[in-house]
Amino acid sequence: MSAKTGVHVSLEQAKLLVEYLESDQQEKADELIAEIQNPINSELFAEIGKLTRQLHDSLMNFQLDSRLNDLATADIPDAKERLNYVITRTEEAANKTMDAVESIFPVVDTIQKQIKTVNPLWQKLMHNKLEITEFKNLCIDIDLLLTTTDKESVRMHELMTDVLMAQDFQDLTGQVIRKVIDLVREVEDSLIGMLTAFGITTHGPAQESKPKVGDNLVEGPIVNVESRDDVVADQDDVDDLLSSLGF
Amino acid sequence: MFSPEGALDKNMKVLVVDDFSTMRRIVKNLLRDLGFTNISEADDGSTALPMLKEGSFDFVVTDWNMPGMQGIDLLKAIRADSSLSHIPVLLITAEAKKEQIVMAAQAGVNGYIVKPFTAATLNAKLDKIFERLG
Repeated sequence: MSAKTGVHVSLEQAKLLVEYLESDQQEKADELIAEIQNPINSELFAEIGKLTRQLHDSLMNFQLDSRLNDLATADIPDAKERLNYVITRTEEAANKTMDAVESIFPVVDTIQKQIKTVNPLWQKLMHNKLEITEFKNLCIDIDLLLTTTDKESVRMHELMTDVLMAQDFQDLTGQVIRKVIDLVREVEDSLIGMLTAFGITTHGPAQESKPKVGDNLVEGPIVNVESRDDVVADQDDVDDLLSSLGF
Repeated sequence: MFSPEGALDKNMKVLVVDDFSTMRRIVKNLLRDLGFTNISEADDGSTALPMLKEGSFDFVVTDWNMPGMQGIDLLKAIRADSSLSHIPVLLITAEAKKEQIVMAAQAGVNGYIVKPFTAATLNAKLDKIFERLG
């Protein structure tokens, strides 16, 4: 810090120094001399002071935001439970629906089979070609068909009501998923708040974020087909791609 | 696998591989509706492979994304095993990246259906697969 490095004394500083010396404030005068000799240090200290205050404030804000703690310890585990509930309910609904449908299939098959049995004689009757001896058989077949249809249509009605009622999962799971979406939004806001508190700018992703893929590029159902050009939109696209490969 | 007339043998042994029991049930019902009656199930590739090695299966319908062994790896394992390599494999999957479809084709898949799919699509693909083999 010799004169070679260009120590610069301003008129104000000189006046202030004289004032300190005249009023017998030796300590302040020494400080001033030190500051004049080494201006960088004082700027550095001021800057460090500023950063320390910022850090302190940030840490205080961080601690104050107890919501983050709640999110991590209560809300997120709760969300996991909610999403598991969605899996369970949708699985139940799918199975209830399939139970009913699987019960309806054989009923429909039986009715169809009986109609096929009745039909030849019925056509003969319609065309006035039925022998009187065949009439009795036709009556027996029609009677069976009527009895079966009467009984089974009541049963089918019940089963279709089961199918209808199994769809109530949509309302319930919809509500649950909406809550989880709200939570995700809140976590996002808190994280952005935290980044802002630490002085990290948060304007948009630096680059287009790529979906996370596993082994063999597995990604699961594509939810944004319109905005992707690396995926097929439907079965026709698959077929076109395969035939272009000589399939 | 085929009767002399070239018609599809509906008694052929089919293995349906999917980690979701509901999807296995849907595929089974659709296959049953098409007349297939001899259907077994496995919940991923590593369960399916020993079943294939033991029983004389004629056809495999598999999902791609499963915990344990994935469908694409099951396909590769089938093609790599000389006692299984002749078995036609149909992928029914939500995986829809072009790169993956190419990957499956190169691994020797016989058909590729993207979820969600319809009964008509399944029917058409089965016809195509067995028409080619026949």
